[in-house]
Amino acid sequence: MLFLLPLVIALSAAESPDADTVARQCDAALKGKTQIGAASMTVHTPDWERTLEMKFWYDYPDKTLIRITAPAKEAGSGTLRLGSNMWMYLPSVERVIKVPPSLMLQSWMGSDFTNDDLAKESSLPTDYTHSIDGETTVDGDACYRLVAIPKSNAPIVWGKLVLLVRKSDFLPRRQEYYDEHGTLEKVLSFDQIRRAGSRNYPMHWRMVSVRKPGHQTDLTFSSLEFDAPVPPGIFNQRNLERRF
Amino acid sequence: MLFWQMAWRNVWRYRRRTLLTVLTIALGLAFGILMRGIGDGFHEQMVDNSVRAEIGHLQLHLRGYHRDPSLQKTLPDATLVEQAIRQTPHLLGYSMRVLGDGLASTADNSAGVAVVGIVPEMERTVTTINRAIVAGRYLDQGMNRPILIGERLSQTLDARLDDKLVLMVQAADGSMGGQLFRVAGIFRSGSPELDRGVVYILRTDAQSLYSLDSRLTEAALLLDSSESVEPARRFLAARLSSAPVEILPWYVVAPFLEQFIELDDAFFYIIVVILFFVISVGILNTVMMSVFERVREFGVMMALGTRPRQVVRLVIQEAVVISLAGAVLGSLLGSGSTLLVESTGIDLSRWAAGASAVGITATVIHPTLTFANLAASNLAVVLVVLLVAFYPAIRASRLRPVEALRHV
Amino acid sequence: MALVELSDVSKTYFDHVPVRALSGINLDLERGAFAATVGPSGSGKTTLLNLVGGLDRPDTGSVRIAGLDISTASPAALAEFRLRHLGFVFQSFNLFPVLSVMENLEFVPALKGTPKAERVRRAEALLELAGLADLRRKRPDELSGGQQQRVAVLRAILPEPDLVLADEPTANLDSENATLLLDMMERLNKERAVTFLFSTHDPAVMRRARRLIRLKDGRLADGVEPDGLEP
Repeated sequence: MLFLLPLVIALSAAESPDADTVARQCDAALKGKTQIGAASMTVHTPDWERTLEMKFWYDYPDKTLIRITAPAKEAGSGTLRLGSNMWMYLPSVERVIKVPPSLMLQSWMGSDFTNDDLAKESSLPTDYTHSIDGETTVDGDACYRLVAIPKSNAPIVWGKLVLLVRKSDFLPRRQEYYDEHGTLEKVLSFDQIRRAGSRNYPMHWRMVSVRKPGHQTDLTFSSLEFDAPVPPGIFNQRNLERRF
Repeated sequence: MLFWQMAWRNVWRYRRRTLLTVLTIALGLAFGILMRGIGDGFHEQMVDNSVRAEIGHLQLHLRGYHRDPSLQKTLPDATLVEQAIRQTPHLLGYSMRVLGDGLASTADNSAGVAVVGIVPEMERTVTTINRAIVAGRYLDQGMNRPILIGERLSQTLDARLDDKLVLMVQAADGSMGGQLFRVAGIFRSGSPELDRGVVYILRTDAQSLYSLDSRLTEAALLLDSSESVEPARRFLAARLSSAPVEILPWYVVAPFLEQFIELDDAFFYIIVVILFFVISVGILNTVMMSVFERVREFGVMMALGTRPRQVVRLVIQEAVVISLAGAVLGSLLGSGSTLLVESTGIDLSRWAAGASAVGITATVIHPTLTFANLAASNLAVVLVVLLVAFYPAIRASRLRPVEALRHV
Repeated sequence: MALVELSDVSKTYFDHVPVRALSGINLDLERGAFAATVGPSGSGKTTLLNLVGGLDRPDTGSVRIAGLDISTASPAALAEFRLRHLGFVFQSFNLFPVLSVMENLEFVPALKGTPKAERVRRAEALLELAGLADLRRKRPDELSGGQQQRVAVLRAILPEPDLVLADEPTANLDSENATLLLDMMERLNKERAVTFLFSTHDPAVMRRARRLIRLKDGRLADGVEPDGLEP
């Protein structure tokens, strides 16, 4: 019977990872080292509805480039992040505008995602402290309930994040955003989990605003490549302005 | 009648003491009138400045805009609204504007701003922005995409005259809009909020920037005085009762102004109460002394058949004479000094820098004298004196004749 | 019925210790009397005058004046009574300093509601009668002591009271003025039937009274005829 003991121990260790591990794994599952792809984003408000098509390049943790390809009015505009600096390009005025830090928490292109959400400057493992608050099930998936509280020096406006992370592969199924008073502001849900390259990935994200009823944004990935080397010359302002 | 004669002559029996008391009352009253006048003048100045710098006396929007502003909430039936405005009594001018927000950027820097789209000739009938220009020019319909920015914004963005400035906004249909503007003028309004965060562009440019077609956000009215606010508001409310329009007076748009005035008034009343208390002590002393000195006389009066009630009346009548004399003198001094200062004005520009940081833009104050103020102050003084005199009067009436007669 | 009827009147007042000012006084005074209360100081003669004058209330017994019992009246009622029925002359400081002689005379009629013209007429007439008409506009501080007392008497009788009470009216006057005052009082008593009750310790004054009410230690002593009594 003794030979079973190591197996039991190993199994139980695998059964209960600590909160920091969960956070780290979740972050890695969503990001990888680099990401290159295309997506379409539909913004719904009580007054209007708009769909944007975009291409994006991420080289974590410092570089981001997003370029809008449709519709015509916004085509050619883009967002570039290098470290903690962010720029936007408007083809209509042919100008690159620097986005001040104060606007990082403003909505990106009118959606329910903020500049920070999309530029991904803040990082779950490094900027938050974590704890696991039980388990739950989302659509049949057993999930950890990960509670993330921002560290005091992190430039984050949220009071708390709650992530429901899939036990099997640490992909998030849901992320709840709470303000400093503990009020739920918005909820991000991840579904349509499919194979993308060598990993599973939720191909559809939906951000629903709780504070502003009737506001939600759907992000659907049409192509996605992980950890491919990003060609040189992508992450600079000249590339931001280049016509295509 | 004989009692009034007695009261009057009793009062002047001790000339110096009475004069001193009358003077005390008069100075206290005069001080109160002057201070109230200065306070009122100051408040009026503040309101006037705010009204003329930005907000106007009345603002009209789609109902619900003030509580929760958004680009989609534009004025319903703008033609009807404009017609009603033109017929409003006490109207001096009005402006129909487009309001939105956005990001203003130069090569070096960006800042979030509030955008106001105006028709320059209309706007100048309401606000004084056109007179606050320190560099360049006021907007003109003939210019090509001009923008007017505040001095502080110009420093933050390092945007000078003729520089190009990008305005990036989210339009009414959700799309991102951006346009290039040229700095036509720089203004210094004295209000830090305006100078730092508000930009003016042509209304037509604003409508195209925000994809608003010909819709408008706000109508602002300038009236002949703040007293006209209520009648004008009532007129518009009646005229536009069928339209979902909100008609907001200046104190709803800028409640902090009203709150500040109320706070200031509260301080004033506290000071007045203390002042009155001090004066009352003096009056009480005077009346008590005059009663004490006449105990024997009151004894004789009572012996001859004067009833206690009549004794009270006599003492009160004496107090009335003193208070009226003090009130008349005080009113003359108070009114005179207020009118004098009103014509010269009090120049606060030495302290202007600190004051404007808190949003106070009045620099030369003209105290005002109102009948209401004068009447209220006089009434207060007379009442206080009468109240104070009651105690000695009742004491006198309760004297027992036998003991009073024994008094020296 | 006598004008003044006191039966079994006593009065104690407190001056650190209780002092029995009067006890068991029974007294009648007829209309038209010219009487004086006499006795050493502390005998109660001022207290007696105060009670008859309705300036104070007795502890026991009753005080009736012109048939009205004033022993239990309220201060306001007593004031009203004094106004309508009595006149007073004090030893000094009778007149109101801020009023003229004429106005002093008008005071009580004014309290009673007599119209101005009537008041002035009666005051003028009385001043003429007393030969003091040229004093009418003078203030009390412009009059001599004797003049002041005579004006005080005029003021007391002007409203035609039932009884005039005078507490030591000549005490501050010299003998010449005292005589003048008593002459006036006596004349008024005889010609206008004004009843006088005054107190005194001056023998010369006592001799002028037609009736003496002697008091000693708060009680009535005997004697109704004037004689050469020591105070």
